[in-house]
Amino acid sequence: MVASTVDLSRVTFIVMREMRGPLIALLVVYSISIVGMVFIPGIQVDGEVQYMSVFHAFYFMTYTATTTGFGEIPIKFSDAQRFWAIICLYVSVVTWLYAIGSIIRLFQNNFLLRAISEWQFSRGVRRIQTPFVIVCGFGDTGSVLLRGLSDYGMPAVVIDNSEERIKALQLRNYKVATPGFCGDASIPKHLLEAGLKRANCKAVIAITNNEEVNLKVSALARLLNPEVGIISMSKVEVFEETLATLGGEVHIVDPFKTFAKVLAAAMHNPGFYSFNNWLVRDRGATLDRYITPPVGTWIVCGYGRMGHEVNRVLSKYGIKTAVIDPHDSKEEEHIDQYIVGRTTSKTLSKAGIEDAVGILSGTDDDGHNLGILLNARYFNKNLFTIVRQNRHVNEVAFRATEVDMIMQPTLVASRKILFLLIAPLLKTFFRYLLENKPGRQEEMEPIIHRLREKVGRQTPHLITIDFTREKSKAIIQWLDEGKKVYLGDLTRDPRGREKKLDLVVFVIKSGDQEIVLPPEDYEIQENDQLLFCGTGLSHRLFNATINSEYKLFYIQNGVYKPRSHVARWLVKKMNKRGV
Amino acid sequence: MNLEKVIFGFFVVLALTLNFGFFLGEMDNPSHHNVLELFAVIVVNLIATVLKFGDRSQIGAVLLATSLVADLELIAAATYWTFAVHISGTGLTPDVMSSIVSLAGGALLANVISTIILVSETLFNRL
Repeated sequence: MVASTVDLSRVTFIVMREMRGPLIALLVVYSISIVGMVFIPGIQVDGEVQYMSVFHAFYFMTYTATTTGFGEIPIKFSDAQRFWAIICLYVSVVTWLYAIGSIIRLFQNNFLLRAISEWQFSRGVRRIQTPFVIVCGFGDTGSVLLRGLSDYGMPAVVIDNSEERIKALQLRNYKVATPGFCGDASIPKHLLEAGLKRANCKAVIAITNNEEVNLKVSALARLLNPEVGIISMSKVEVFEETLATLGGEVHIVDPFKTFAKVLAAAMHNPGFYSFNNWLVRDRGATLDRYITPPVGTWIVCGYGRMGHEVNRVLSKYGIKTAVIDPHDSKEEEHIDQYIVGRTTSKTLSKAGIEDAVGILSGTDDDGHNLGILLNARYFNKNLFTIVRQNRHVNEVAFRATEVDMIMQPTLVASRKILFLLIAPLLKTFFRYLLENKPGRQEEMEPIIHRLREKVGRQTPHLITIDFTREKSKAIIQWLDEGKKVYLGDLTRDPRGREKKLDLVVFVIKSGDQEIVLPPEDYEIQENDQLLFCGTGLSHRLFNATINSEYKLFYIQNGVYKPRSHVARWLVKKMNKRGV
Repeated sequence: MNLEKVIFGFFVVLALTLNFGFFLGEMDNPSHHNVLELFAVIVVNLIATVLKFGDRSQIGAVLLATSLVADLELIAAATYWTFAVHISGTGLTPDVMSSIVSLAGGALLANVISTIILVSETLFNRL
C-alpha cells in the first residue's frame, strides 16, 4: 500500500530530524573525551608511563557518561587522568540528559504519535485476510453492529472522529480483528488507509451522526472503489436521492422508514412483528405472542421524522390520527386534527385520548416520551403504545414501561445493516412474505409454526451458506463427479438421518434466480447461496455435512462410506454401497 | 451402527489393552514380561495401522500417525530383544529388560492417545 509506506517514512523522518542535534552533541562529547583519555599520560608501571587504549577509553566513557561508575579500570588513574575524568563526567552526563529529554519530548509530540497510530492502524488493516467491512462512526449504532459482526466472525475496520470512542473500541472483547482509527472518515486518505481499495473489502458503512459526512463518505467510496458495497444511514430525503444515483451496490438505511415498513407489515400480517423481533433477537421476543396495532383513532405525539412515517402508515390503512406537536405544520392532508403545543394532559384531552385506541410517543427526548406515556395511560389504560427510545442508556426505564412496541432508531438501523451484510437474502424473503397477494398471510403461519417447533426458546441463528469450493468442498466434489445433491437430504441430521436438523430454509439464490421456501427436491448447484434460520448446533452440523465426504455420503445413502482401503476393498467385493 | 467402526474400535482398544498387559510388572524382571504377549501387541498394532490407511479426513490422519509411532517403538523393542538374546548373547539382563519395557511404555502412550481421539470423535459426533 502506498499510503502506509508514506506514513512509515514520515515517522522515521521525524525521529531522525529531531534526534540530529542530540546525536551530534553526544558524538562530539564522546570523541573529545576519548581522545583526551588516550593522550593523557597515566601512572608509571615498571618505570614506564601507561597510556589508555582507545578501547579502554571508550569503555570508561560508556560507564561514566551513563553514570554507572565502575571505577578506575583497567589500572589506577594518574591525577591528570582524574582531572580529565571529572570534566568528561559532567559534560557527558549533561549531554545524555539533553538527548534523553529530546527523545521524551519527541514521543510526546502529537504529530508523531498520530503518525505512529496511523502506521499501526494500516498495519492492522493489512493483516486482515478475510472479507471485512469499513465502519465509519462508532456510536450506539456502530457498537451494536460491531458486536453482531464479531459474533458472525467478520472483521471490521473502524474510523471515528472521537478519540475516546476509539479507545473504548480497543477495550472491547471482539472475537475478530477490529483496528480503529481516530480521524475524519470523509478524508480520502483515511478511507484508503482503512483498506478501501483492498480486494477483500466488502462494504463501506457510513453511520456517523452527521448526514453530510455520511453522504461524502459514500460518494468517496464509490469514486475510489467502484466495486465496493455501500451502506449509508440517512434520514434526509434530499441526500437519499443523491445516494441512490451513486451506482453499484448502494443501500440506504433509514431507521424510521424501516420501522414504518415493519409497522405496516404488522397491520396486515399479525405474525410479522413478533417474527421480525424474534429473528433480530430482541430481548423478550417470542413467537408465541402476536402484536397487532388496533384500528381506531390514534394520537401521534411529536411530528418529527418518526411521527411523519408512522402517520403515513396509519393513514394508508384508513386510520384517523390526531397529531400534537409544538411546531405548526403546513402539510395536513392525512391528519384529522392538528394540535399545536407540547403534549400535556390538556392537549391529550383535546385530541380525544379517552376514545383513542393507540398512541405514538415519538419525540426526540426520552424523558418527554416516557412522560407522555404515563400521562396517556392515566386517561386510557387500554391504549396500544408505541414509544421511541433515543438513547441506549435509558434501556432499563423503557423496559419497565411494558409498552407494546419500542422503537430504538440506533438498534433498528444496526440490525438492518447487519442483515444486509450477513444475510442479504433476508430482504427477498421479507419482500415475498409481505407481498400483497392472496394467500400470503396464511403462508406465514406454518413458517412460524415450524420455527417454533425447531428453534423454540433457543437463540435463532440466521445463516447464509455459500456453496463454493472453499466453503463446502464435499458438496462441490460430489457435484464434480456428476452426482446430484438434494436440499432435502442436506437438512438431515448427520448423526442419524431419520431426523431432520433444527432449521428452516428460507431462500435459495441460484444465479439470478431467487427461490423462496425451496422444495425438498431442489438440486443444489455450484455457487448457490442459501439462507436458513436454525439453532447454533444445527449450523455446526450443517457445516460438518457440507464439508465431509463421509457425512454427505451417509445422509444421502443411509449407509456409511468405507473409510479405509481394507473396508473399501471388502465393500467392493461384496457389491454393496457402504457399511 | 457402522460395522467398520466396530471392527476399527475393536482393534484399537485391543492394541491398547494388550500393550498395557505387556507393560505391567516390574520393569527389569524378565519373568513379568512375556515374549508372546509382545508378539501379539505388534500384530494387533499392525492390523490397526492397516485399518487406518485410506481415511482422508483430518482425524484419520492423526490416528494413523499415532499408530505409526506405536509400531515404531514396539518393533524397536522386539528387535532389541532378539539382538540381546540371539545375536550379542547378553541375555535378558535387567538393563536390557528395562529398555524393552520402556519402549513398550512409549508405545502404550501412543495407543492411549489413539484411543482418546477415537472416543472423543465418537462423542463429538453424538453431541
